[in-house]
Amino acid sequence: MPMVRFLLSLFILFVSLSTAVAQSTVTGRVTSATEPDGLPGVNVVVKGTSNGVITDVTGHFAVEASDGQTLIFSFVGYKTLEVLYQNQATLNVILQEESKELEEIVVMGYSSVEKREITGSVTSIGANDFKEIALTGIDQALQGQAPGVQVTQSSGTPGGGISVRIRGSTSINASNRPLFVVDGVAVETGTLSLRDFGGQDDNALSLISPNDIESIQILKDASAKALFGSRGANGVVLITTKRGKNGITRINFDVQRGIIDPVKRLDLLNSKQLLELQREAYTNAGLNPDAAGLIPGVTDAVSTDWQDEVLRRGVLEQYQLSASGGDENTTFYMSANYRDEQGVQLNNRFQRMSTTINIDRKFTPKLKVGTGITLSRSFNQRVKGDNFLDGVYSGALKSLPYDVPYDEQGNLVGPSSPLYAGFPNFNPVAQALLPRFDATTVKILGNITANYKFNDNWNFKAMAGVDYNDVTEDQYENSQTAIGGYLPSVGGRGYGVFIASTATTITANGILTFSKEILPDHHLTAFIGSEVVYSPYETGSVQGRLFPSDDFTYITSAGIVDNGSSFKVQSGLLSGLAEAKYDYKDKYLVALSFRADASSRFGENNRVGYFPALSGAWRISEESFFKSVIINDLKLRGSFGYTGNQGIPDFRFMGTWSGATYNGSSGIVPDNLENNYLSWESTREINIGVDASLYEGRIQIFFDSYRNKTSDLLFAQPLPFTTGFGSNWGNIGNVLNQGIELGITAVNIDKALKWTTDLNISKNNNEVLYLAEDASPNAGYSAEGTTATNIIKEGYPLGTFTGLRFLGVDPATGNAMYKDLNNDGEINVDDTDIIGSAVPDFIGGITNRFVYGRFDLNIFFQFSVGNDVLNLTKASLVNSGQDMTTNQSTYALRRWQKPGDITDVPIYRVSTADEENPNNFHSSRFIEDASYLRLKNLGIGYTLSPRLTERIKLDRVRFYLSGTNLLTFTKYTGSDPEVSTLDGSTAAQGIDFYTLPQVRTITIGLNATLK
Amino acid sequence: MRTPFKILFIVLVFLTSACETLLEPQPVDKLTDDLVLNEPADVEQVEVGLYNAFRNITPAVIIAGDFTADMLIHNGTFTQYREFGIKQITPSNATAASLWGAIYNTVYIANFILERLPEIGGVSSAQRNKVMGTAYFLRGYAYYTALYSFGGVPEVLTTDVETNRNIARASEEDILNLVLSDYDQALDLLPDEPVNTGYAGTFTVLAALARLHLYLENWEEAEDFATEVIDSELYELEEDYSALVNEDFTNEAIFEMGYTLADDPGTSALGLNNLFVGRREIIPSNQVIVSLASSESGDRFSSMTFNTSDLNGTDNGWSVAKYGTADADNNNIVVFRLAEMYLIRAEARAQQNNVTGSNSAQSDINILRVRANAPTITTATKNQMIQLIEEERVYELAFEGHRWYDLVRTGRATAVMTAYSSNWKEAYEKWPVPLREIQNNPALVGNQNPGY
Repeated sequence: MPMVRFLLSLFILFVSLSTAVAQSTVTGRVTSATEPDGLPGVNVVVKGTSNGVITDVTGHFAVEASDGQTLIFSFVGYKTLEVLYQNQATLNVILQEESKELEEIVVMGYSSVEKREITGSVTSIGANDFKEIALTGIDQALQGQAPGVQVTQSSGTPGGGISVRIRGSTSINASNRPLFVVDGVAVETGTLSLRDFGGQDDNALSLISPNDIESIQILKDASAKALFGSRGANGVVLITTKRGKNGITRINFDVQRGIIDPVKRLDLLNSKQLLELQREAYTNAGLNPDAAGLIPGVTDAVSTDWQDEVLRRGVLEQYQLSASGGDENTTFYMSANYRDEQGVQLNNRFQRMSTTINIDRKFTPKLKVGTGITLSRSFNQRVKGDNFLDGVYSGALKSLPYDVPYDEQGNLVGPSSPLYAGFPNFNPVAQALLPRFDATTVKILGNITANYKFNDNWNFKAMAGVDYNDVTEDQYENSQTAIGGYLPSVGGRGYGVFIASTATTITANGILTFSKEILPDHHLTAFIGSEVVYSPYETGSVQGRLFPSDDFTYITSAGIVDNGSSFKVQSGLLSGLAEAKYDYKDKYLVALSFRADASSRFGENNRVGYFPALSGAWRISEESFFKSVIINDLKLRGSFGYTGNQGIPDFRFMGTWSGATYNGSSGIVPDNLENNYLSWESTREINIGVDASLYEGRIQIFFDSYRNKTSDLLFAQPLPFTTGFGSNWGNIGNVLNQGIELGITAVNIDKALKWTTDLNISKNNNEVLYLAEDASPNAGYSAEGTTATNIIKEGYPLGTFTGLRFLGVDPATGNAMYKDLNNDGEINVDDTDIIGSAVPDFIGGITNRFVYGRFDLNIFFQFSVGNDVLNLTKASLVNSGQDMTTNQSTYALRRWQKPGDITDVPIYRVSTADEENPNNFHSSRFIEDASYLRLKNLGIGYTLSPRLTERIKLDRVRFYLSGTNLLTFTKYTGSDPEVSTLDGSTAAQGIDFYTLPQVRTITIGLNATLK
Repeated sequence: MRTPFKILFIVLVFLTSACETLLEPQPVDKLTDDLVLNEPADVEQVEVGLYNAFRNITPAVIIAGDFTADMLIHNGTFTQYREFGIKQITPSNATAASLWGAIYNTVYIANFILERLPEIGGVSSAQRNKVMGTAYFLRGYAYYTALYSFGGVPEVLTTDVETNRNIARASEEDILNLVLSDYDQALDLLPDEPVNTGYAGTFTVLAALARLHLYLENWEEAEDFATEVIDSELYELEEDYSALVNEDFTNEAIFEMGYTLADDPGTSALGLNNLFVGRREIIPSNQVIVSLASSESGDRFSSMTFNTSDLNGTDNGWSVAKYGTADADNNNIVVFRLAEMYLIRAEARAQQNNVTGSNSAQSDINILRVRANAPTITTATKNQMIQLIEEERVYELAFEGHRWYDLVRTGRATAVMTAYSSNWKEAYEKWPVPLREIQNNPALVGNQNPGY
């Protein structure tokens, strides 16, 4: 029936067209302030007819119209203009750019609203905000762009780990990652690989090409997040991919090529300097350095700069081709992308191929169906890093300059060579070149959406989608590597590992929406729906050793296949959700939302969690008493609600036994203690905010203040071993995050030169309010002379550093002096003090954009103030003689040498077996202020003149030059203040332990559009 | 207006039917509590689990026995081992915590068996006795280890978590009585000859009793139990001492912890090969090298190996050889072997003034000396003999975790250890109660061993 009606209306349309009155041709040109050469692609339609055209490259158009008819000029981003045709010879039109901020539709997950109707705290990031930055993944796109969002790249490894925190860390042991949702489908975040590579872990989000992103919404407060219930506590990032628009097909081609360098290299000692220092260390300990084999002229005969040996200039290439368009019933967007990025470490490379196809079809005026699919494959050639004894970058920093990477025949030095230094110097060049650590990841991200509009009031939308990730890790370390050749327990004849795993998330939901103006000026919008999320995960691995020779690198040839496993876990979430919104004249807005989640991760007694939220907004500027010529729009917002966190391992509420073997027989041992009361972490969130728009939208200000209290922290609570268990999961603590956020967008100059500034700044105070047990759980690494590097303690933030307090170097003896906290005359564990915090006082970003004629310039600075980094690299590289097998940094040259020396580096004295060296105890000596200001991105672009462009049959051509991490201002002495060796860790964030610094990328690019 | 609800209703019905499988998935690699030890087929599995847990005690005992004393020195970077190397042992020592943890993991499974097994029908009495006996014996040995490593520890006799998370230390006497009673029970229940020496049998318990009575200075009982084991003729001394270094399941093993290729501890915290050979975190002390290199030690020198390329600075180049890689045939850890029975009997006899002659301390020691191609003892006074036995135990049982326990039980610890390290103090005759236990068990607060 609807189809018949549809055909009928088409017929009527056709008839009406063919019977139109005699017409003349109107010609003219459309321009705008920023496009004085003509605005292409503008829709020009004769009002009341379907008679229309689109302007050409130079903005010209020609359309049939008769005297007295009205022409409608419309174009995305511009105010629609109606012009009466009165037989003018030419009709030149200037379109005004639309200050459409308030009407902009914002996707909120299960519904969309106009921006002015938002009652919560939401930040939107558009594709333009990151189009020129050499991003590997979409999580990087959030960096410095949104107030309250802290993004830290764990290292400079391509495709590597990134930590994203929205409004601080809510959890100690459960996940702190925000929920990422792409076109309605919850996607994997974090690492997919099962083998730990330190801060160089892989990152599931790197599979999604940022070029296909239309916009990103970050939901920060309860009003927006509560609808994500048990997954919402850490914030929600909604990603919308590009879709086609009704109109001419546009083909866009983008190519980028660039070079990559580490932002900094550390200054390390050469052989001569190191030898002198080591001899001094032996002499100071009363030992004979000659006897230890430290002989001038022999030991320092060669001096290898290991950083030069393993680091290189990488090359980056990226190609993107996309096409979009459609007619009024069907629109499409399709793209293909190829990225190839060489890491700065030898043999480290990340390649990604992806394609996206999004199609929307209007079957009837009531039924719309959309589908989207992204296929992506990455090939990641990885290298070990960070705190790996046999890592590449770590090896380059640690290895003694006395050793060489190649022997005289030019062969790599390995365990079979007499030149091989052995533990713990494993020739990092060989460690980079010889092992094969290939990870191939295939991602299928697909969804289908059907939208049926019953009438003006009722709408039903159903969505089903899948995020499928398949990782195959193919690894082999041959007999000339540390693991495959040197480690006796492996057997010295190669070591192979093969791991395959799939992580799938299936999301399906149905939402019934009702929307009506129930009384004049009283609008009601409500929806009710349900959702099911199912996540199966399967993995299998096998290990082989004792290969016949290095020519056989796959486990099929292994002499022993002695370790393997496979298992499957699955989790599910079944939810009901509802929301009601009411507004009066767009002036008073109230929203009430509710979600109930039943999760398989929790025990019977606490399986279902309820997450309500209430929010409201008052648009003061709509009041009649509000009279201001400066402020055009002023909105006060407030919200209150609950969100949850279910991010713990599966089956933790059950008492379980797992497999164990003894003497060749298999049996079972206790694995986990039952806790049927295990429940969600629940966050109570309060947010108050103000949005203001000044000077006709030229200045926009967003301010938010929040207080989020997370209780029932999921915690692997330590138990005394007398129970038979070391810990069990319980809900035992509270954490508070409170802070303020400010965002300002300003159009400073809008003339021939257009200058806009985006500034965001935020401050978050994180504090552990309560831990159920008296114990102060240690975190991070174990440390010399004290318990651990980090502590979780009431009254302090997550990410608090502990250690001895360093008071300087005693000028008389050269020994380190520490604060005797308990005044017992001894320096020991009991003198452990709080010595720093990785939590910044405030963070932010500032972007300035300039457009002048065909030139554009974009300068983006990012900053973080007041955060400490624990420089564990320094604890090894300025180690006061504790370890003679590690090279030292030039900082060590400041050491104390003779009585009276005033310095901050203690005496070098080699440790002997029966004497402790307290000079290298873990102390505030290794805590550094890592505040920084970083020129994160600088981009310059030039758009060719349309006349030139038309001659080569193109629509628009732009060249650009872009650089990331170009300048860093910091007092931090390590390689990079913006690193974290424990990828994704919260309690032990901000530790630099041989972590590869960020990279500086300089790219040139060309973007061309044709139609 | 009705259609929208109809659709919603259909969706809801669909979702609800999915509920069961979605929200109650079962783990594929785990057994839930209620399914464990509820049928006869489970009995053997839980027994294997008990041995698996018990096995973790043994590497920690080797660290305790040899590294707390003067046999090993530190050559690596880990704090927990440095503390033993420089004799500054702290309550936060991770090895102390892992020994304590392994002891109580064993106790938990043993208690689980002792609580549940009697209630399961359909189990043959032979199997029931064997498994109950194993639970008693391994629990007894776990508490014996706890007693001599930590002193009077909490006496955990149930699996009840609430009881066991707030439980005070028992007296040393109570623990000793528990050990004796567990051994007695085990003696009645265990079979005479287990499948192999990886499992406990009657003579394992007798060997344990011989050692316990030696520690208690009940010389007569110690001699009797040792004699009973020696005379059983189930075990015979290997002809060549190097077999003990290089092979598993030797003819003289009475009880050893079996590792196969698949469950070798590898590079885990208590993988002895990794500590002694792979990373060489821990190496023989100079004085034990001298001792083992002496002619009195003879072939027992083969307990160590030397590699010039390791000789560097404070590294003496020597490595412990008794614990091989997963591929090697010597990755097991021996708990009791026949040579120790001769040493126990020799000491018991010497203490009872049976020093020389046939069936004396001298004849027992010479059996071991002859096997090691070392000079035999011709004559000695009682005191000389006791000193000789102390040294003989170093040669024979090097790196098998005896030294510290021997020095402490004979009262020689202070004399020997003060000469060895200036940092030694009497408190080190016991290990500290792990800090995490005191932090998490309120009843232990203020009950640390003296001196820590």
